Amino acid sequence: MTTLPPPNPLTPPAPRSQATVAPGDGMLAVDAVSKFYGSVVAVSDVTFDVGPGVTALLGPNGAGKSTLFRMLCGLTPPSRGAVRVLGCDPRDDRDVRGRIGLVPQQDALFDHLSASDFVEFAARSHAVHDPTQAAQAALGEVDLLEVGAKPVGQFSKGMRQRVKVATALVNDPEVLILDEPLTGLDPVQRRRMIELFHRLGDDGRCVLVSSHVLDEVARLGSRVLVIAQGRLVATGDYRDLRELMDHRPHRFRIEVSDPRRVAAALVDRGLVSGLTLDGSVIEVETLDVDAFGRQLLPLVVDAGARVTEMRPLDDDLESVFRYLVEGR
Amino acid sequence: MAVSDARIVERGFQRYEGPRSGVVGAIRSVAWQSARATLGLGRPARSKIFPVIAVVIAYVPAIVFVGISVLIPGDIVDPEEVADYASYYGFITLAIFLFAALVAPEMLVTDRRNGMLALYLSTPLHRGTYLAAKAIAVAGTLALVTIGPPLLVLAGYTFDGSGPDGVDAWLLVLVRIVLSGVAISAALMAVSMAASSVTDRKAFAAIGIILLVFASSAFAGALVDGADASVYWRMLDVSSMPFELVFRIFGQEGNFPDLATWAVIAANLAWTAAGVAVVAWRYLRLVIAR
Amino acid sequence: MAQIEETTALRRVPPATAIVLCYRLILRQLLTPGRIVVLTLLALVATVSAFALGVADASLDDGVGLLAGLGFGVVVPVVCLVFGGAAIGDLRDDKTLVYVWLRPIDRWPVVVGAAAAAATLAAPITLIPLTLAAAGTGVGNSVVPATLLAGVVGVVAYTAVFTLFGVVLKRFIVWGLAYILIMEGFVAQAGPGVARFALRKYTRSILVDITGADLDLADFSLAVGVITPLVVAVVAVAVAAWRLRSMDID
Repeated sequence: MTTLPPPNPLTPPAPRSQATVAPGDGMLAVDAVSKFYGSVVAVSDVTFDVGPGVTALLGPNGAGKSTLFRMLCGLTPPSRGAVRVLGCDPRDDRDVRGRIGLVPQQDALFDHLSASDFVEFAARSHAVHDPTQAAQAALGEVDLLEVGAKPVGQFSKGMRQRVKVATALVNDPEVLILDEPLTGLDPVQRRRMIELFHRLGDDGRCVLVSSHVLDEVARLGSRVLVIAQGRLVATGDYRDLRELMDHRPHRFRIEVSDPRRVAAALVDRGLVSGLTLDGSVIEVETLDVDAFGRQLLPLVVDAGARVTEMRPLDDDLESVFRYLVEGR
Repeated sequence: MAVSDARIVERGFQRYEGPRSGVVGAIRSVAWQSARATLGLGRPARSKIFPVIAVVIAYVPAIVFVGISVLIPGDIVDPEEVADYASYYGFITLAIFLFAALVAPEMLVTDRRNGMLALYLSTPLHRGTYLAAKAIAVAGTLALVTIGPPLLVLAGYTFDGSGPDGVDAWLLVLVRIVLSGVAISAALMAVSMAASSVTDRKAFAAIGIILLVFASSAFAGALVDGADASVYWRMLDVSSMPFELVFRIFGQEGNFPDLATWAVIAANLAWTAAGVAVVAWRYLRLVIAR
Repeated sequence: MAQIEETTALRRVPPATAIVLCYRLILRQLLTPGRIVVLTLLALVATVSAFALGVADASLDDGVGLLAGLGFGVVVPVVCLVFGGAAIGDLRDDKTLVYVWLRPIDRWPVVVGAAAAAATLAAPITLIPLTLAAAGTGVGNSVVPATLLAGVVGVVAYTAVFTLFGVVLKRFIVWGLAYILIMEGFVAQAGPGVARFALRKYTRSILVDITGADLDLADFSLAVGVITPLVVAVVAVAVAAWRLRSMDID
């Protein structure tokens, strides 16, 4: 089979460990956690472990991402199950709170403070050794050093978002929990922020980032936790997840010099379950990727044609997400 | 040869082609939903606690008076002597003020803080019609405690046989009760909406309403009672004027007999107009960022 | 990024540092010109009224009655409600409490810092006008120290209680107003039994004990009048700290 290309040029280096479904020694461990608000089930029986590196928590609006994040930070207790951050209960353990950096979803900041004062307050309240220097460094990391003296109340949405990221970084946390941190950022800042997250993950920190924007998640990395309607739907590398979707045909786009002949040969050999011709392009659906990959090139050669391009159409995150979350 | 299996999966945005209720429908909808949210209807039980307490406080005297009327024979105690319709408000003034301090901030400030105002203004509503909807909601909700309790007293007395004699008298009391409730609701609606339009914190708006009510009373009292100023300075007392008007509507002298009825009416109109003007001024200048 | 690349060490914020941090943060949050001006004007109403009484040669009972009614019945509780309730209530409202909560600090220093910040603002706004009012009544030398002592006790107790309101109740201002206007101003007038649950009765008792004025519902000794509100303040802070620890944070 043809090796599938990475989803995006910004895909990070291979992570040190993977998100797994079983609770274990991960930096974040969620074990059979449920959260109810009266009769509303926000999170239902979720179990996973997350280790160092960047992991994306993916889910549609209202899936329970923010509730899960609030439980991971101890802001609300689980109704059932247990949450562990670095082996501790974040709700009760005062010390572990100093090892977490959170970017909350809400836009709220202390608007009367300058960006420097805001981040410095965070540094002081984390007992950082040199809070002023730490605040400057964190603001520099998000390109806000020059406007640090301005009140955050005067900042744009994107700048406020970066202030929140600086606040999350200032205590040098081992665990970063970032709830939709790219919201409101322009494309350049978005790219820089994603690079920063990768760098932090490569340092050995656990960086858990939530989003409902598939393109963002694809850029954040291939490791995902997919949550829908409060339940954990899938976890792992989304390309591996695609491979697990056996009964769902894989789709490829093939550009060849003699498309009609190649198409007829593909049908004759029973390699495809569906096929569309459009000029020199053939789009095929196949259930047996291995056989398709092995036999395609000999078949093309036998037909006296040449392949000028071939690429998969549905190994992207969107395809996986739509299958997992929307069942289509 | 396989045929194309192309199919439309997402039909995307569909224009609504059904009937539209227009601006009137939008006003009705905003007013009703605002009242529902403020009273905690359709919200968790804890959201209902305070509205329910305020409403209960307003109705308790009515229940007590009707109870006295039912349990104690009329030749021993005349219910009208315990509390007539006009002086009933004296028992529930604090509850009405507290209710006003809850209602208007909840209805106006919340929309500005959570971005709903921008959403409303993207509908057929503009600032004027939006404020009209809110005014209806505030006044309508206040009517729960300004019209409801005396109506309950009237109904109780009527069923007990100690109510007004004859249909004409009964209807006259009914009209007076409704007029009184409308007058109080209108004045408090305007004042409380004004206070709620100048601050983006519900808490401060609520305090502002209460302080305005008490400070105006203290100020007017100091001028008239303390400094022997003209009795017409009493018109500055926003906490007394609506209730003084109620006495006049029922044909009684009230607490300030030296003050002419036209002055009481003018004071109420002026307070209402001033409140509306402040709200209009604030909302015309308001920059809606989100 | 040098800071982030350092090895993470276990860090704890000492309680005293946490109190100072929260105090400074919340003080700046509460210190808005609108609040200061409006509440100062409210307090000055008591001062002006007291001077008017003084000009009219009022009796001791009238002078102390004005201070007890307007000063300790309205000004002190309302000012303390605005600052005490908002100390943590505003953070909850704004959803910024998370920036204080998710820190390696205990809960009680947060509440103590918040209550202290509220009291810092409430004290001058109430005590200075009320002390001037006490002097302005001209009804005796003992009225000023009585007002000062009752004011300090009232500010501490009301601020702590309303800080608790801000932690526990979403509509803390309306509940606080209900407590001031209905519980203290109406229900507590029903008799001495119910009046025990009104802080106003204790400040009133201090005024009466020191000045010798004759007011209703003011029959506690000076010691009870001072100690009980302070105990209430400590309990309120403790409950607020406990609640802050166990509550859901947005």
